[in-house]
Amino acid sequence: MTELVGRSVARVDGRAKVTGAAIYAADQPVPDALHGVLVMSTVARGEVLRIDASAALAHPGVVAVLTHRDLPKLVVPHFPYVKRFIPMQGTAVHHVGQPVAIVLATTLEQAQEGAALVSVDYRAEKPSVVIDDAREPAFLPQPFRDRPNEIRRGDAASALREAPVRLEARYSSATRHHNPIEPHTTTARWDGDRVTLFESAQGVLVTRTVVATAFGLPPESVRVVAPYLGGGFGAKGPGWPHTLLTAAAARVARRPVRLVLSRAQMYTSAGHRAEYRQHLRIGATREGRLTAIAETSTAQLTATEDSVFNRSDSTIGLYTCPNLHVRHEGVRLDVASSSYMRSPETTSHFGLETALDELSWQLSIDPLELRRRNHAEFNQETGERLTSKRLLECYAMAAERFGWARRQPRTGATKDGDEYVGWGMATETHTFAAMPSTASVTVGVDGKALAQLATQDIGTGTYTVVTQIVADALGLPLRDVQAQIGDSALPPAGLSAASATIPSISGSVDQAARAARDAVVALAVADRHSPLFGAAPAEIETRDGRLVHLRDRHRHDTYRAVVGRAGEPVRRTATVLNQGGHTYGVVFLEARVHARFGSVRVTRVVTAHDLGRVMNRRTARGQVLGGVTWGIGHALMEHTVFDRNTGRVVNPNLSTYLVPVNADAPPEVETLFVDKPDPASTAMGARGFGETPITGVPAAIGNAIYHATGRRLRDLPITQDKLL
Amino acid sequence: MKSFGYTAVRDPGEAVRLGGRPGTAFIAGGTDLLNLMKDGVTRPDRLVDVNGLELAWVTETASGLRIGGLARMRAVAGHGSVRRGWPVLAEALLASASPQVRNMASIGGNLLQRTRCGYFRDSGSPCNKRVPGSGCPAIDGWSRGHAVLGGSDACIATHPSDLAVAMVALDAVVLVRGSGGERRIPIGEFYLRPGTTPHVENVLRQGELITAVEVPRTGMARRSRYLKLRDRATFEFAVVSVAAAVELNERRVRDVRLAFGGIGTTPWRSPEAEEVLRGKDLTADTIARAGRALVRDAKPRHDNEFKVDLVQRALAELLEGLR
Ligand SMILES: Cc1cc2nc3c(=O)[nH]c(=O)nc-3n(C[C@H](O)[C@H](O)[C@H](O)COP(=O)(O)OP(=O)(O)OC[C@H]3O[C@@H](n4cnc5c(N)ncnc54)[C@H](O)[C@@H]3O)c2cc1C
Ligand code: SF4
Repeated sequence: MTELVGRSVARVDGRAKVTGAAIYAADQPVPDALHGVLVMSTVARGEVLRIDASAALAHPGVVAVLTHRDLPKLVVPHFPYVKRFIPMQGTAVHHVGQPVAIVLATTLEQAQEGAALVSVDYRAEKPSVVIDDAREPAFLPQPFRDRPNEIRRGDAASALREAPVRLEARYSSATRHHNPIEPHTTTARWDGDRVTLFESAQGVLVTRTVVATAFGLPPESVRVVAPYLGGGFGAKGPGWPHTLLTAAAARVARRPVRLVLSRAQMYTSAGHRAEYRQHLRIGATREGRLTAIAETSTAQLTATEDSVFNRSDSTIGLYTCPNLHVRHEGVRLDVASSSYMRSPETTSHFGLETALDELSWQLSIDPLELRRRNHAEFNQETGERLTSKRLLECYAMAAERFGWARRQPRTGATKDGDEYVGWGMATETHTFAAMPSTASVTVGVDGKALAQLATQDIGTGTYTVVTQIVADALGLPLRDVQAQIGDSALPPAGLSAASATIPSISGSVDQAARAARDAVVALAVADRHSPLFGAAPAEIETRDGRLVHLRDRHRHDTYRAVVGRAGEPVRRTATVLNQGGHTYGVVFLEARVHARFGSVRVTRVVTAHDLGRVMNRRTARGQVLGGVTWGIGHALMEHTVFDRNTGRVVNPNLSTYLVPVNADAPPEVETLFVDKPDPASTAMGARGFGETPITGVPAAIGNAIYHATGRRLRDLPITQDKLL
Repeated sequence: MKSFGYTAVRDPGEAVRLGGRPGTAFIAGGTDLLNLMKDGVTRPDRLVDVNGLELAWVTETASGLRIGGLARMRAVAGHGSVRRGWPVLAEALLASASPQVRNMASIGGNLLQRTRCGYFRDSGSPCNKRVPGSGCPAIDGWSRGHAVLGGSDACIATHPSDLAVAMVALDAVVLVRGSGGERRIPIGEFYLRPGTTPHVENVLRQGELITAVEVPRTGMARRSRYLKLRDRATFEFAVVSVAAAVELNERRVRDVRLAFGGIGTTPWRSPEAEEVLRGKDLTADTIARAGRALVRDAKPRHDNEFKVDLVQRALAELLEGLR
């Protein structure tokens, strides 16, 4: 029986969040905690020669200034800690904003001032921080997480040579930062050899593993608590030095320590989307069928890491193409580590979806028709048939709603007032993951249910969806169900990254809740005091907190009465495994380009997505609205600026790193969903979704600009100066 | 943040007396000062809170408009007299910051806000304006937000205030009070180009308080407009902006004031461009010539060359709308 799953259910934690009742990591009261503030390197490449902490130590309230000399030796954890070193374990400096000391003080202000008073001498060398300034040529990095960085299929070189139609273009994109509104924070409290961390984490178990490894502790000795998150977008997934350094400082100081990164510090502390170049060569038939793709990308790697996070997944497999040669190259630069950022494939996808638009103009084929002709029925790497892929339905739904058939196949054809109007579209796709997750559901003697699992709500609606699933499975009203998540002491569950939360946890939560229901029904029919005594369990329906005999409806009982009489809660636990996969969709949009100033506005958007079963229409739509807005920022404004001489980030704050404001969001976004359960998904038919609806937006905007003006822009962001 | 002393005053005399001590800063809305203090860019020893002074009025007189130094941006932007007689002021204010900031921020504080140059606001970078003699990384570095006019080898930072640009186009006068008494400073003489002393941005002396701004009543003022171009729809400083006040006789320009934001190291008045237009018809040709006169001495850097073109387009757009 499905009543709540699939509906537009408002966030169950919404009220707590807007009233301030929700306790975020840095709000957790921890008596006796010191405030920690990091001192960060001002140079990008070199070595710490001397640290003079005397002025800081003389400042009122400063308790300690810890440097590499004071901290215990830590073990560098492997993935998902993506940095290949831990700062403050030696004197080498690999990037600006690398922690070199931590100041502990009684108040935050004292710690901040203490940090400002620490004076550090460096031996500095001239850094290289942007791809143009790389000291050495690009290279092919080692496989990352067992996935090679060179992918070949067929013979791309000969197929390109023989292709009747060829296209070659270069695309590029600036560095971007995640900028979650809640800064990264850690509060560490040791009790002997056990440590508790109140952490802004997208994965409490990931952080537990990282901390346990670094300190050589068994995982059970580490508890990570993160009940709410003010956004993460990938930045709070991997585990970062500030967490380890805070825990180390608390250990040395023998006091709890709380640390909150400043906004500026976040630009060097928790990853970013790497600066990126892409060289694409495409071969096709005159009918627009792809025969070959050769792509070499160049990512901004670091002095210490060579992980490629922005893989070209869509180039490799979104469309049917027999011949392929993809190389993910990189150059080493003196910048902080990059990492995953919401929809890592957005970067490469922009090039592919722009190139297809270019090809469509070259061949005078409608860009939507071109994509249909290249639609992939089979997994391009394994050859398996793709089951339950409903991308063609998405194309049809959204095109119809947008009115795409009325598109003028000429550039510069429509002018409205001072603006040229253009339409653009792009396919959207995202590779999601699924991670083993266990959930337990307990029905208490009060007849209320509690679901528990160590996943988290990163703002996407996990509390709400878990509550919906449990309420449906048990037949309880929403208000009688609670979810408890965000604590590593709960049953182990997946992290909230790679759009994995729903696909990882839904099946387990559902099964645990059903098992708990069945257990309560079994109690009732075995209970002489129950009106249901002796009934067959299959004849009992559960609804609104009641257990009702299906044929004999005046025989009924309640959860509260049944479990109350039993005298102890009923708890069931389940683990249902699932697989990752792909989610698809499409975005159509209208953009307007000011004829005189080159400024661009996005004025109308229609999307359609196939995410299997939609668990909650309201939170799913929220992901699309956020994704579209993010895509607009990605296309038109967001970029991190490095000073090429010093390696410092010049715009490390939200007043100069521009993200869209409400006035930049389109007045209208129509969000359509196919909403058919994916039979292959054990997560009640749902697939991972959250990151999908950004991926096509930047290319769709660029394509609309071309349609409006005839100007093709291949470098993001498209600021107005590029369109003058 | 450095610890600091704090005194709230009720009387301008007391404000001036306390403000005269070196290391003291006035605080009004605090929307700029507190950011600078938190970022370690300015480190005052003492704050004198002037919000208790009776200086938050806006009055219209026979000769013009008087705006108290502590009037809030929101109040001025919404004032009927301002909107009728000096529309460029209201437009410039409404194009500034956000409603929340405008509720807090004062007119005096607005005129004295510091540059948004990223190097200036990063206490880990050298910057001649923050630490005299330490160098200017913007000149060879990221210069998109920087000036193409009025710069020196020491500094090319823009003045960020939209209001100041409008005030320059209106020939406003800044009234200040200091230990030596009161002074009236024409806004055209208020701001200083960086030269070799970019840390000195205006002619105010330590402890001088902006008590009011006077804006004369003119025919031009009534026909005045503001156009601001930026990198997102709102809540952002100008890439370039134009304030124009024009008095026309039919299509002929009797008198005109043109001031610009985003392109100069000070709120930039262009007598050269005004001269081109004075006595001429406002045609596409005269407007284009005015634009060229404006940028004749422009010295663009690596990232801001486009402003030379963009500001001329903005000027044309605004003047065409005033015809
Ligand atoms: C997010 C953001 C966006 C913004 N966007 C814009 C924008 O688009 N356009 C724009 O023009 N501005 C913008 N601003 C700047 C804003 O307008 C100024 O911060 C504000 O006007 C300053 O006024 P205040 O009263 O808060 O000054 P405060 O911060 O209190 O003071 C600023 C300076 O003025 C001095 N001071 C204040 N009052 C007096 C006085 N009466 N006499 C002498 N000295 C005085 C102080 O000592 C200090 O040095 C923005 C600010 C923020 C925070
Ligand atoms: S432009 Fe001026 S404010 Fe900016 S870094 Fe140079 S000296 Fe400092």
